Order: sequence, then C-alpha cells, then structure tokens
Amino acid sequence: MNWQGELNKYLASAYKNWIISRRNIFTVFELFFWPMISLLSIGLLTRFLKVDESMVSFLLVGSIALTVLQVAQMDVAYVLLFDMWSKSIKNTFIAPVHSYHLIFGALLFGIVRGSIVFGILIVVSRYLFGFDFQRGGLLPVLIFLAGVFATAAVIGITVCISILTFGQKADVAAWSLSGLILLVSGIYYPVDVLPPVLQMFARAVPLTYFLEYYRSIFIPGPHHLATGIFLAVFYLVLGLVLFDRAIDRARRTGILLRLSE
Amino acid sequence: MIEKSVEAKGICKRYKSFLGTGTTVLNNISLDIDVGEIFGLLGPNGSGKTTLISIFSTLIYPEQGSLSIMGLDARRDRGEIRKIINISTAKPNFPWSLTVRENLRHYGMLYGLYGSGLSRTVEDQIDAFELGDFRDLKFEDLSTGIKQRLSLAKSMLNHPRLLFLDEPTTGLDPDISIKIRALIRRIHEEENVAVVLSTHYMPEAEMLCDRIAFLRKGEVVALDTPQNLKNHLGLGERVVITYSGQADIGALGRLPGVLGLKSEIGRVEMVIDRSEDSVDRIVKLFQEAKILDINIKEPDLEDVFIELAR
Ligand SMILES: Nc1ncnc2c1ncn2[C@@H]1O[C@H](COP(=O)(O)OP(=O)(O)OP(=O)(O)O)[C@@H](O)[C@H]1O
Ligand SMILES: [Mg+2]
Repeated sequence: MNWQGELNKYLASAYKNWIISRRNIFTVFELFFWPMISLLSIGLLTRFLKVDESMVSFLLVGSIALTVLQVAQMDVAYVLLFDMWSKSIKNTFIAPVHSYHLIFGALLFGIVRGSIVFGILIVVSRYLFGFDFQRGGLLPVLIFLAGVFATAAVIGITVCISILTFGQKADVAAWSLSGLILLVSGIYYPVDVLPPVLQMFARAVPLTYFLEYYRSIFIPGPHHLATGIFLAVFYLVLGLVLFDRAIDRARRTGILLRLSE
Repeated sequence: MIEKSVEAKGICKRYKSFLGTGTTVLNNISLDIDVGEIFGLLGPNGSGKTTLISIFSTLIYPEQGSLSIMGLDARRDRGEIRKIINISTAKPNFPWSLTVRENLRHYGMLYGLYGSGLSRTVEDQIDAFELGDFRDLKFEDLSTGIKQRLSLAKSMLNHPRLLFLDEPTTGLDPDISIKIRALIRRIHEEENVAVVLSTHYMPEAEMLCDRIAFLRKGEVVALDTPQNLKNHLGLGERVVITYSGQADIGALGRLPGVLGLKSEIGRVEMVIDRSEDSVDRIVKLFQEAKILDINIKEPDLEDVFIELAR
C-alpha cells in the first residue's frame, strides 16, 4: 500500500465526520453558541469579582481549555458513535483498517474543529477581557493545545472502548469521565485547593500539567511539562492498545454483529 | 493459482450468556468451497447462516476450527484477507446523513483508494448498480431496494476476489430481486469473483448456486448440487388431480411409481416417479370419472428444504 492510500484510510473518518457535522444544525451550537456562553459567563464573573489581570487570564485559560477539550473529544468518540447510531459498524470493521486509522482520522477533524473554537475564543476574550493569549510566544500556545487535544483523544478512546465492551448506553458513563477530569485537573482553581486524595488523581491527568505550564506564563510558578507530555503519550498508547483489545473482544463475543442489527 | 475460496475445518461458535450457559450457534462446520462456484448457504431462521458468513469474512472470530480464505490463514493474515473480500447484507445500514456518493467515497477511502482512482471506482459502481439518479440522496431517504444496491456497490469498491452476500434479495420485490440476481451472476462470471451467499428463498438458490449447504441448528445437514439434493432425497414430482365421479383410490396407491398419496373427496395428490410411465397408468384409472384438472409440479428445493428442516 502506498502512502496516499494509507493516508486516505486516516482521512476516511475525518471525511465522514466532516460531512455529518456539516449537515448537523447542532454544529453551530457546538462551535459558536456554547463556547461563547461559557466564555462570557466566566469573563463576566471575573468582572463581578473584580479580580486582577493575572487571575482573569487564569480563569479564561481554564474556560477555553475546557471548551476546546469538549469539542475535540466529541469528534474522536463520534468515529464509533455515528457508526453505532446508524448501525453500520460492521461495514467499518470488515474493511482493512486499524484502530489507529479511525482514532487519528477522527482526532484530526477534532483538532480542526477545536482550533476553530480556540480561534474564536481568543479573539473574543482579547476584545472583551483584554486577554493576551500570545504573551509567551506561539510555541507555548501550540504545546498547550497539543496537551488539550491529547487529553481529548484519550477521553474519546475511552468512550469508544466502553461502547464496544458494554454496548449502546455505555457512552454516558464514559462522558462522565470528562466531568471528573474537569473536577480534578484544575480548570477553574489551582490543584492545591483539592483534598489530598483528589490531588493524587489530578497528578495522573495530563491536562493538569499542560494547564499549569500555560498558566505559568501569566502567573509565574512551577510546572512539570515533561511529566504531562509523558503521561499524555502513555495514555494515548495505552488507550490504543486497549481499544484494539476491545475490538478483538467484540469480534469474539459477537457484540460487533449485535451493534449492527 | 488459488483453488479454494474457503477451507473450513471444525468451526465452532458459542455465545456465552451472563449466567455462563452458552448457546452453541455453530457446531463443527467443515466446508471446502471452490473459487469457481457460487456457493449457497440455506437454512431456517437462526440456523447460523449469518454467523458463518461473519466468521468467513473475519468480522467475528470462532472459538475453534481452522479457516483459510483465498489460501490465506484467517488467524494470521486477517489484514490481507480483508483487502480481497467484501460483504453485502440484507437490510444494510450505512451512515444516515451521507449521500450515496459520499458513502461510497467514505468506504472507498477506508479501503485505501485515493485521488482519481477513488473517484473513478465510485462512478463505476454508481453506473454498474444504476444508482445515478440517487447519487445525491441521503441514505436515510433511500428505498429498501436502492439501499440494497448501494450495499452491493460498496461491496465491489475494492474489486474483491471473494464476495459474501447475506440474503441479498430479502425484503425486495420480485422485479428488483431478479435484477440483483442478474447482477450477482454478472459479477461472478464477468469479473471472476467467487461468491458465497445465504438465502431463505429456494428458487434463488436453485437459480444461482452451483452447490448448496443446508444448515440446521448450526450443523451442515446436507451439501450437494441442487439437482443431486433433489434426487438423493427421493423427491418425486407432485401430481394433483381434481375430478368428479368415481375413482379407485386404493388401486392408485398400489401403482408402481406412486411414492405417496393423499386423497379427499374429488381431489387426490400424489408424489410419483415419472420413469415408471406412471402418469399414463394414473390417468387410465380415472376412466369412470371426469378429470377436471391435472397439475404436475417438478420437485424444487422448497421440498428439499421442508424435508431437511424436519
Ligand atoms: N451476538 C449474539 N449473542 C448471542 N446469540 C446470538 C448472537 N448472534 C446470533 N445469536 C444466535 O445465534 C443463532 C444463529 O443466528 P444467525 O443470525 O447466524 O442465524 P441465521 O441463520 O442467519 O438466521 P436468519 O435466517 O434469521 O438470518 C440464533 O439462535 C441467534 O439467536
Ligand atoms: Mg441471517
């Protein structure tokens, strides 16, 4: 197989997600409406509390990260969710594709959508709240976004694994994972304010480190970016391995057929 | 040169339930299928046809048995096998909001097609399956017959050398079924694609298949050509006579060549072996009566099916 054919196996999922999302009226809500609502509420909250400029940055970084994360994780999970809803899953798994084609193809589209949302949010937050996202140059922004997208991919993969393992309704449980991450990774507060047990969890979530790193540009403080990168790569690899095993198991138990009926 | 499209030995499939008591869906299936034949799987509901086709197409895995598809080992070379096979099933499902063309493009990409080759293959399949008028309709807006044709078109995207068809005409009206059968023949003969299909519909198996395996409760209970199956089971022709007046039913039953007989007033139904001149002798026994109607029907697979499903 040449590289163009191989590339298209990745792009297939991006293509499918793109068309479905183009035809879906909720895309407007996902990309514009809800992101604006959460940005404006947090931004206005900072005005009400009369916090200083660095604290405004702290909170806006959290709000933007969460929004981008949510958009991108959806796109990764959609790769199987759409197939499950339309019961076409067996057409996908009879084709000569691997789990990584599906995940990275969908992630690619998630990155595009996430970046659009990010672009809108930084422009708006600059005008309304004077937030300068580029204070540390472009590189920190890219590293920060990479961390957010990696975390999104891990959550998306977890959703896919639970669908294949526990069937149709399991995605609800998996989405709650994203709520837990919101709680422990310090979206709106530093991790130190958490009870010690939750702090341990926070240290296991890569997003925590990427948030600390990016925020250290606005409020100088310690960060452990290397740990974050290591964790992100570790979870991604682990997620892909477990996803492969979930597919294998679904082929043995026949769940793959039942999801197509 | 590969000679066998499928070589299966001792395939077993059990589905485990929560309580641990599994149900055996396939029990020790062994089959050799030649590349050059259209092979049919027949059997009542729940006999395991879909399960077997899913195992052959590496969609699901068996617990036991060895399987080789187009000369490739189904355990070791799954990736290679998936490149050269494809499947189309009854009541096919595709992403709802993608149009016919978009669906074909999407699956073409999954098979590693790209650039102008991808576009050409998609257009070729749209032409071959007469989908031109529907190319920009979303899947959810298609009728059953068009969905089925889209499914067949999708199954030809990678120019497979072995095609699995699970009840390709179920739920379609006779017109479209005939068209689809013709398409299957054409794919097999002109493009040299080996075909394994399952069906409920006996005339379809009789028309298309070179050999047929009957499945019952997950086992192969008979395997032969349609003609041999009919002969071996000793199924004769069915003669139905309606008459008025008197006829000696007792003598009718004793005639050589009459294999079975059922009678009611004014009507008699027999299974006969024609080689014994039996029709002539039967008619002679009705000299006292007036024959209102006589109907001779060749045995068909339906009869074989009923016989075997017992
Ligand atoms: N995932 C599954 N879990 C448990 N049992 C299953 C599963 N899939 C199929 N079965 C059972 O396996 C048996 C064989 O099913 P299969 O679909 O292969 O039959 P079939 O011959 O294709 O039937 P039909 O003519 O209705 O299509 C059935 O009794 C069915 O209930
Ligand atoms: Mg079936």
